[in-house]
Amino acid sequence: MKKQIELTVNNSPESIEVAPRTRLLDAIRIKLGLTGTKEGCGTGDCGSCTVLLDGKPVNSCMILAMQAEKREITTIEGLGSPTELHPIQQAMIRSGGIQCGFCTPGMVLSLKALIDRDPHPDEESIRVAISSNLCRCTGYSKIIDAAKFLSSSETTSMATSSEDWSVGARMTRNDGVEKVTGRAIYAEDIQLPHIIYGALLRSPYAHAEILSIDTTEAEQITGVKAIVTGRDVDMGFYGYELRDHRIFALEKVRYIGEPIAAVGATTVDIAREAASKIKVEYAELPAVFDSEEAITSNAPLVHNDANAYEIDWDTERKGNLCYKLIIEEGNIEQGFGESDLIIEGSYKTPEAHPGSIEPHCSTAKVEPDGRVTIWTTTQKPFVFRSYLAQALQRSINSFRIVPTQIGGGFGGKLFPSVEPYVVLLAEQSGLPVQMTLTREEEMSCTLLRHPSSVKIKTGVMKDGTLVAHQVRMLFNTGAYGLYGPNTAALASMMATGPYRIPNVEITGLVTYSNNVPCGSVRGPGAVQLAFALETHLDKIARSLEIDTLDFRLKNAWETGDITCTGQTLDSVSIKECLQKAADALEWKKPRLPGVGKGLACNWWASGPWGTQTQIQTNEDGTFRLITGCVDMGTGGLNSSILQLAAEGLGVPIDSIQLVRGDTDSLPWDHGHGGSRMTFTIGRSAYEAAEHLQKQLLQEAAEHLEAAIEDMVLEDGSVFVRGDKANAVLISTLCYNRHKKHGGPMVGVSSLLEDFPTTTKKHPIGAFPGASYCAHAVELKVDEETGEIDILRYAAAHDVGKAINPTGCEGQIEGGVAMGLGLAMMEELREIEGKVMNPNFADYLLLTAEDMPPTESILVEQPATEGPFGVKGVGEPPIAPPTGAVANALGDAIDINVKRLPLTPEEVSSLIREQKS
Amino acid sequence: MSNDFEFTQPIDICEALKCLNETGRITPIAGGTNILVNMKRAPIETDLIIDLTRLEKLKNISEENGMFRIGAGVSFADLLNWHPGGAVEGLVRPMCAAFAGPLIRNLATIGGNICDASAAADASPVLLALDANVELVSTTNGSRTLPLSEFFKGVRKTAREDNELLTYVTFGKPAEGERCFYYKLGKRKADAISIVSIAILAKLNEGKIEKVHIALGAVAPIAMRALQTEAMLIGKVLNTSSIQEAATLVVKEACPIDDFRATAKYRLNMIEVLVKKGLNEILSKA
Ligand SMILES: Cc1cc2nc3c(=O)[nH]c(=O)nc-3n(C[C@H](O)[C@H](O)[C@H](O)COP(=O)(O)OP(=O)(O)OC[C@H]3O[C@@H](n4cnc5c(N)ncnc54)[C@H](O)[C@@H]3O)c2cc1C
Ligand code: FES
Ligand code: FES
Repeated sequence: MKKQIELTVNNSPESIEVAPRTRLLDAIRIKLGLTGTKEGCGTGDCGSCTVLLDGKPVNSCMILAMQAEKREITTIEGLGSPTELHPIQQAMIRSGGIQCGFCTPGMVLSLKALIDRDPHPDEESIRVAISSNLCRCTGYSKIIDAAKFLSSSETTSMATSSEDWSVGARMTRNDGVEKVTGRAIYAEDIQLPHIIYGALLRSPYAHAEILSIDTTEAEQITGVKAIVTGRDVDMGFYGYELRDHRIFALEKVRYIGEPIAAVGATTVDIAREAASKIKVEYAELPAVFDSEEAITSNAPLVHNDANAYEIDWDTERKGNLCYKLIIEEGNIEQGFGESDLIIEGSYKTPEAHPGSIEPHCSTAKVEPDGRVTIWTTTQKPFVFRSYLAQALQRSINSFRIVPTQIGGGFGGKLFPSVEPYVVLLAEQSGLPVQMTLTREEEMSCTLLRHPSSVKIKTGVMKDGTLVAHQVRMLFNTGAYGLYGPNTAALASMMATGPYRIPNVEITGLVTYSNNVPCGSVRGPGAVQLAFALETHLDKIARSLEIDTLDFRLKNAWETGDITCTGQTLDSVSIKECLQKAADALEWKKPRLPGVGKGLACNWWASGPWGTQTQIQTNEDGTFRLITGCVDMGTGGLNSSILQLAAEGLGVPIDSIQLVRGDTDSLPWDHGHGGSRMTFTIGRSAYEAAEHLQKQLLQEAAEHLEAAIEDMVLEDGSVFVRGDKANAVLISTLCYNRHKKHGGPMVGVSSLLEDFPTTTKKHPIGAFPGASYCAHAVELKVDEETGEIDILRYAAAHDVGKAINPTGCEGQIEGGVAMGLGLAMMEELREIEGKVMNPNFADYLLLTAEDMPPTESILVEQPATEGPFGVKGVGEPPIAPPTGAVANALGDAIDINVKRLPLTPEEVSSLIREQKS
Repeated sequence: MSNDFEFTQPIDICEALKCLNETGRITPIAGGTNILVNMKRAPIETDLIIDLTRLEKLKNISEENGMFRIGAGVSFADLLNWHPGGAVEGLVRPMCAAFAGPLIRNLATIGGNICDASAAADASPVLLALDANVELVSTTNGSRTLPLSEFFKGVRKTAREDNELLTYVTFGKPAEGERCFYYKLGKRKADAISIVSIAILAKLNEGKIEKVHIALGAVAPIAMRALQTEAMLIGKVLNTSSIQEAATLVVKEACPIDDFRATAKYRLNMIEVLVKKGLNEILSKA
């Protein structure tokens, strides 16, 4: 029975009506509208729902609202307001401890409870205090800095506040205040009148024919407002370079969890119950799960005719083979013939999840004109629009996509997930519809990182010179191709690493199976190949008894080297990165027993793709920066881009406002991903700023009746060189211009196609803004239990130019955390297509206690294309940690690592294997 | 409808016991950290939830005549701040520090941990090593005390009658000079579920083992004591060879399963390793 309960929330008495099953979290979010408290899992595993209960931090998803009667609750909204931040909130902004911000409210409350208890905590207590609060973005280091900053005068890597905004200064992010106060609006915070909620019916079979679907019983449940199946929709195939996916299974289901029907109802519970009442008759088909098995001739076919799907790239497809690519350079057989030694190895990486703490969620509403507005958490609003248009066979104009704050992307929000269903349900019901995936759905039915199986055969000379290199990469893309071909193509670029090898043969294969489909997760292909290659290189070095640093330095690329896909490299810095990372860990110093050091490198592209940035004047002399790109959390848009625009215009950063809009109002952009933000959007923002500055100077020249060449823009005004006394204010220029001609003055820049090219046939071929990095790790291993203790970590990254060093370090530390997770604990395990660990209790992300002290080393070897030489740093840091850890283990106890993750059990079994 | 139940919040034990006698399916809730997880995964089958969080008496820890009494409602955070000294502290504190993370520790109770009776529950090995008893109270049976080892009956099965309330966990204070060892093996440093956990309490007299309790978590359907190994050790000199013998024997006593966290084989290897590690540490402390 529902009941009225009294409780104190943020020092004010509240009386709310709740049902016995209402959780405190729901009472806070829905009844009290305090949406700063987030739900990342609902099972106590993530800490995003943290509130203070009588002063103690607890998970509000683990408490029934009625249990909290008469107790005191503090939510993030009760801590500090935008104008009066709590010191811990200030410190979080200044340290750079905020990225996507989804974990931030919980993190801040856990820290507040700590500081209240112990005003001067040591680092260990800080780590413990936030160890229940998972952060997927930051790697915790800057959050720990924030707490240290409060209790001491330590100011390392602290942003200098927004007064210094010049390129290269540590800038605080523009959306820090809204995030740290819990006011930022994420997808699930969208609330509309008369909203209903959606749920999906998903396939329980990995492979089965659908014989019939009967929705009659479900339709009769009170509260059900709409039911849609694949039979009611004119579905199209959609995808990236390969279009093989539809939003509902139609003739057959190809994986466990594939959507069959969507239901909209007045509550989520009713929607779920109704979905469970839809009767589907299936005829089970033989299924295939293993990638090697899938490409044998007698394997069950996942798609009856893979060749029927549109693909933009040349390839060979047959049976379950979804994509194939071969790169050949030199003469592989001759290379092996000339080698002194040939070393072979096989390496496997498991399925992994992007692991954003925010689940997928969207809200759709049909507007009076029949168009549909979609509020959603997306890395690519514009590309989403075209996916939706393909999937639902409509024109792009039928949708208006409003991006909300994104609680972590990492590639997991590149493809529509719930969007098509909320659109269809909203249209059928005439009501706004919201759908949020549960953590379980999130982990078991959304796109994953491709598992890989890589075989390498390498020929070397006794002195360590690499001569021949044959690589066969097999990626299991699951039921649909989506980003499979792209992953293989990127991986093939990584197959030699940043090393000179004259004779190369690389084969990339992507196979369908009845597993959950894979997408494109941070560093697609790079993570898999960097692990395989870097681990393999240590195996070679150990056989040759050459130091692994010397071995890498000997073969590392230099400027002018040509890659196996025919790109002539400029601005190569891998040797400098290697040396700096190794030096940071005193590489040549002897190791204690059980302790090992390991190195791994990586190279990667800075993402190009189309964009347009506009900077417009306001009539008071302030500016609006307009881009269709969104910030998935990295902060690029909210710091570096503004820094570049301010630099290009020559005006203070706080005179430039970042416009928030939607796909109706913003210029087209390809989206946030591929390490392109500062490289591409940054460059176009800088150029747009220069373009606008020219117009301002022209306006001033006319006003001052002088030549434009003599104009100087400084301190908010323009004057004739040498005559500052007669300066004209920018605000005057803008006002006059708007009044006279109508405003605004607009600086525009689109992407310039001056990227490196290749002589060879390859779908990618050349990396623009190629960046380099090297990581070094020192660890201790317990030889009996197999437990690994990471002692310290160093990551040297060539970022070309650090526009905002705090932001660069944040990307590096977050990438290291994610990479160490992949190295030691992350694995999504499917048995016969069923995900065995669809939650954060068993799919483990690194906690603050696991994150080692990490030194981020910024190397600045400018790229030719990026603004001020910028190279992307979003994805690169995630690739080397796996190989570095594997190699440090090899160094400590002389074992050859073959697969990930290196759990205590895996390490212990490798040790036992080697001993026997 | 899912999760459709009534809620009541008794303010003393007497009232709670009355509620437990109501008809229908009844579920007490304390910290809720098992129940709400279950509720999130599937609707729970209950008609009435009885909230125990207002039973202030059950939040106390006391010591009387060499007996410790821990209320069922004591949270792991409170236990972590408890300083009884000696072997009790040596076992309880590291267990609490490795239990979940700080947020869950503020909610989760020792009573809930015992009643949930998971094979991997972390309080169990420590309490078994301390030879703890549990007190159960109901209006029909009055109060009864039974050894924790008899309370666990099988996977998530206990000797608790539906209308019984677990009120206290009690155990005697180990004698001066008793040594202990605790280890939890998990997949990460914080907030990890045990792959294997072990608690040892032992007393040596001139090098000979006078008393030894070896308790293991996550290696059998219920938390267990390695009774054969203990019996074998009694009276022996604690040295490399008796330690090796114990490590070999303990493996025969456990019957772990393969699950997502580890294989049975690894668990068996690890209890061998950890028994050795533990007894060696006890030897070195002696
Ligand atoms: C994120 C997370 C991490 C966790 N980590 C760990 C861990 O590291 N180690 C570990 O052992 N456990 C762990 N758990 C499990 C859980 O926290 C513990 O089992 C906890 O001790 C349960 O206590 P509670 O008070 O929350 O129980 P509740 O959920 O309230 O109840 C648990 C069960 O006990 C019954 N019950 C509770 N109190 C009484 C009583 N006094 N009399 C009769 N019946 C009662 C309830 O009816 C229910 O069946 C974790 C859980 C989560 C969500
Ligand atoms: S939502 Fe409560 S812990 Fe994740
Ligand atoms: S900033 Fe912590 S999860 Fe994104």
